[in-house]
Amino acid sequence: MEKKGTVTQLSSIYPAEETQKASRRVQDAIAEREQQLNQLKAFIDDNTSIMNLVQKLPDETHHNIMVPFGKAAFFPGRLIHTNELTVLLGEGYYAERTSKQTAEILKRRGKALEAQVESLKAIMQDLKAEASFFDVTADESAEGLVEIREDYVEEASGTLPAAGHTKSENTPFVEVGDKKGAYEDEEYIRLLARMAELEKEEEEAAKGDVSNENEQIQNEPNSTSGQITTDEEVGSLSVEASEMPAVSKEVSSHGDYPALNNSMMNTSLEQPREKKEVQAPPTANKTAFTGSIVERAHDIRTNMPEQQIGTRSSKPVSRFKMQRK
Amino acid sequence: MEQDKVRKYEEFVDRRLKPDLVHAIAQRDKVFEQQKVFSDLRRNIENLEKNSVTSMRTMVNLGSEIYMQADVPDTRHIFLDVGLGFHVEFTWSEALNFIAAREEKLSSQIEEYTRLIASIKAQIKMVCEGIRELLQLPVSEMEPKYY
Repeated sequence: MEKKGTVTQLSSIYPAEETQKASRRVQDAIAEREQQLNQLKAFIDDNTSIMNLVQKLPDETHHNIMVPFGKAAFFPGRLIHTNELTVLLGEGYYAERTSKQTAEILKRRGKALEAQVESLKAIMQDLKAEASFFDVTADESAEGLVEIREDYVEEASGTLPAAGHTKSENTPFVEVGDKKGAYEDEEYIRLLARMAELEKEEEEAAKGDVSNENEQIQNEPNSTSGQITTDEEVGSLSVEASEMPAVSKEVSSHGDYPALNNSMMNTSLEQPREKKEVQAPPTANKTAFTGSIVERAHDIRTNMPEQQIGTRSSKPVSRFKMQRK
Repeated sequence: MEQDKVRKYEEFVDRRLKPDLVHAIAQRDKVFEQQKVFSDLRRNIENLEKNSVTSMRTMVNLGSEIYMQADVPDTRHIFLDVGLGFHVEFTWSEALNFIAAREEKLSSQIEEYTRLIASIKAQIKMVCEGIRELLQLPVSEMEPKYY
């Protein structure tokens, strides 16, 4: 079995020490934000207490207080005009307001402070998530976790996500063929059953068990070649049914094959048909498959159900390819 | 060996002397502030005396830069902060006497701190010279500028 991927020690990409350092830095940032948050909360407390005070002051015409005189001295005195407040609006501008108006101003200030607290909390949440991510990474790299990286291989990539569909779709595919009465071969059915089995296995083995996948792929050729040799028409039909969706849905994974498919088409189908067919959009992929579109026009009724079923199935493509060989 | 010593000296400068210096300077700044407060107060009281103001109107900061008018009916009695949270009632002349004594004290404190700062700076310089000798560098090449 060929080697398909690389295995990297996670600790070689993210050394535990470095990750911890990063985590510590984020923790510092969190602490800083925490301080800001505490400061803001203190502001809010001040704001509410001054608001209470401002609302209470006009209850009396005057209040006896110690009037500060500089920072270190006081005079005994009293507050007068208790409903006239001078409020700093910012930038050295003051406004004379009544107690109620001042309370309104303070309420608005309080709202602004709350908004700041909210945004700060959101930032802290983000930072905490970041910190926990760093911690997890540090732990993982300390535990010796490895990263397995595998190249994007066309068939493998197609079958992996679509495994669920193909498995269920394969059976109906056979049935349709049977109804047509064009093809009935016990060996073919047996092979398909085997394929389905392997696919189930693969699904269970789940993510990236390479060996299973390869087995399955190797199995495919047998089934398809058998099908095609026994019945030309079914072969081409299946090709068509499967190719159609493949073109539209899996452009990326089949990007490499248009030429191959095209040449095959030329051998198995008549040239003139291909030409009379409307050209598909200018993508290399789609032009390559004009031949298959012809086929559908030719036999549209029987193929309709297959097309729907076969949507997204990438398996038949490989079968098709194998047939060419 | 030598490297070790150099490292130790540098650590001493960075971890001990420099923080000490910063701390001393901060302390002195605080005293400066106090001095300014009292000199302002003295000037204000002298002003009151000169203009023989016996009652006045002023604005009191309630917090958050919100001001309200306040009336002082009798300015001849003033309460002064004498430290530790105690306020003593003085007449103008008594207050001026107290302020003078306080200012003297503060300026001597400032002098003390200034001397302390100078000595810390001298120590830093000396240790740096020691490091220079250890490394056998030519004089004046390593002239660290700390403050």
